[in-house]
Amino acid sequence: MQVNQTRRGKAAQYLLLIWLVATVNFALPRMLPGSPLVYLAGEELGQLSAAERQELLARYNLDRPLPVQYVYYLRDLVTLQWGESFLKNEPIRNILWRRIPWTLLLAFSSIIFSAVIGAVLGVRAAMNRGKWSDIRALLTISLLGSFPSFWLGMVLIAVFAVKLNWFPMYGAYTVGASFTGFAKLADILLHMALPLITLTFLSVGRYFLVMRYSLIEVMGEDFVILAKAKGLSEWVIKYKYIMRNALLPFVTVLMLDLGFILSGATVVETVFAYPGLGRLMYEAVVARDYPLLQYSVLVVAIIVILFNYLADQLYVYIDPRVGEQG
Amino acid sequence: MTCENKKRQLPLVFIGAAILAVFLVVAVFSPFLVPHDPFVRVGRPFMPPGEGHLLGTNDIGQDILSELIYGSRLSLGLAVLVALISTGIGTLLGLAAGFLGRPIENVIMRSADFILVLPFLPLVILLAAMLGQGFFQLVLVISVISWPGTTRIIRAQVLKIREKGYILNLQAIGAGPWYLLRRHILREVLPLVTYRAMLTASYAVLIEVALSFLGLGNPLMKSWGSMLYYAQARNATLTNSWLWWVIPPGLCIALLSAGFLLTGLYLETYANPRAARGQADA
Repeated sequence: MQVNQTRRGKAAQYLLLIWLVATVNFALPRMLPGSPLVYLAGEELGQLSAAERQELLARYNLDRPLPVQYVYYLRDLVTLQWGESFLKNEPIRNILWRRIPWTLLLAFSSIIFSAVIGAVLGVRAAMNRGKWSDIRALLTISLLGSFPSFWLGMVLIAVFAVKLNWFPMYGAYTVGASFTGFAKLADILLHMALPLITLTFLSVGRYFLVMRYSLIEVMGEDFVILAKAKGLSEWVIKYKYIMRNALLPFVTVLMLDLGFILSGATVVETVFAYPGLGRLMYEAVVARDYPLLQYSVLVVAIIVILFNYLADQLYVYIDPRVGEQG
Repeated sequence: MTCENKKRQLPLVFIGAAILAVFLVVAVFSPFLVPHDPFVRVGRPFMPPGEGHLLGTNDIGQDILSELIYGSRLSLGLAVLVALISTGIGTLLGLAAGFLGRPIENVIMRSADFILVLPFLPLVILLAAMLGQGFFQLVLVISVISWPGTTRIIRAQVLKIREKGYILNLQAIGAGPWYLLRRHILREVLPLVTYRAMLTASYAVLIEVALSFLGLGNPLMKSWGSMLYYAQARNATLTNSWLWWVIPPGLCIALLSAGFLLTGLYLETYANPRAARGQADA
C-alpha cells in the first residue's frame, strides 16, 4: 500500500517535470527581444506584407494576451497541433516522428555497447587495482575518452570512408536505393557503424571509471571483510556482495546517460549527416527555425524524462534501502 | 602494500601534471611562442606543412600552428573557471540535498533533474541569444548546466555515508547535523569533490570544443573547436589536409582533457583511505 502510494507520487513528480519543461518552452522565446514574427518566420520576414504579418500573428494567436496564448499553447501541445516548419514546409510533428527512431536506434545501441564494454573493463581493472594492467587500462581509457566525439568521427570518415572506402560517409541509408529484407538491414547497419563507434567511444570511459571507482569503494567496506572472515567463496563475495552494491552508482550514471548521449548525438549526427533529432536541431539552429528547434528540444526532453522515470523504478529493485526512504 | 600501490600510480599523476604544466606555460606565453600572428593572413590558403609553416595554413591563409598555440588559452582558462564554479555549486547543493531533509532535497534534486533533462546544446543556443557568445557567457552557461551531475553523486555518497554504523552511532549519542557535516561527511566526500572538479574541467574542455564546432563559440577568439569547424566546413576530410588541420587540434584537446582526468584519478586515490584499504585487500 505504502509502496504504491510512493510510486504514484513519483509518477506525479515526473508529470510535473514534463509540464515545467513545456512551460519553459513557452516562456523562453517570449523572453527574447524582438518581434515574435522573427521567431516564426525567420529570415523570410522581410518578404512578408503587413497583411500577411497580421494573418501570421492571428494564426498563432500571438495577438492575444499571454495567459490566453498559454492556454492555446497547452491545447496545441496535447493535441499534437505543433504547426508547420518554414524550413521544411512540413508539419513539425511529421518531421519529428520520422527522425525519432533513428536517434533512439543510435543512442540505445551505443549505450548498450559502451555499458557492457565499460563494466567488463571496469571490473577487471578494479580486481587488479594498482597493478600495471589496471594502470594501463586506466591510461588507455582516459586517453580515448578525452578525444572529442566529432573529431573522432571526422578521423573515422577520413580513414574508413574516404581512404579505405569500407563504410559510407553520410546518412543512415542509401538514398534512392530500394533494398528489402537483409539487404536493407545490412545497408542500415553499415551506415550506423561509424556513428555508433564514435558515440560508444564517447561514453565507454565514463562507465569504466564509475564501475572501477564504486567497486573499489565497496571492496573497502566492512561487510566485505566480514564475508571474507566468514570464509565465503570468492564467487559469492565478488558477485553477491561486491557487484550488487557497486551497481548503484553505475545505474545512476546510466540514468544520466541518455540525456548525455542525446546531446552527444547532436554533434555526431551532424558530422555524419545522420537523419536523427540531433541533426535536426543543428539544421534548425542554422536556419533559425525556432519552432522546429523548440519542439525538437521538447521531444528529446520528454523522452529523457520517461526513461529517467523507468530507471527510478528500477533503482528501488536494485537497492531496497532507497525504496524504504522514498 | 598501500604505499606500494600509490607508488605505482605515481607515473600517472606525473603524466597528468606534466601535461597541465606544459599547457599552462604555452597558454601564458603564447604571444612569445607563436611563429606568426594567428589572426592575420600570412600565406597562401590551404598550404601543406613546409618552410615557415610547420602545420601549413588554413582556408584563409592563417598559420595553423599559431592558431593551435593561441587555442590553449581559451580551453585552459575556461576549464579551470568552469571546474571551480560548477563543482562549487554542485557540492554545496549535493550536501544540502543529502543532509537537510525532504523538502529541500526535493527542490534541489528536481531542479537538478530539470536541468539534466534539457540537453545542453539547445539550452546554450537559447541562452546565447540572450547573453551573447562571449567567453564569460560560455563559462556561465556551461557551469549552470554541469553542476547537477556533481550534486547527484555527492548526494548519493552522503546518503550512503549516513547509513554507515559510526554515523548512526554518533547521531544516537546526540551529534548534531552541523557537527557531522563538518567533521565527518565533508571529509568523506572530499576526495570525490576533487575528483569531480578535475572531471568537470576535462568535460568543460570537450563541451567548449563541441559548441565552437557547431559555430556557437566566440568567433573573435581562437579555439581548437572553431579550427575544426572550419576544417569540417571546407571538407578537410576529403583531402590529405586532415592530417595537419584536423589531427593536431584533436590531439591537443585530448591531451588537455586527459591531463585533468589523470590528475583527478590520482587525487581520488591519495585522499581516500577507505578506497586504499580496498586496494590493500584486493
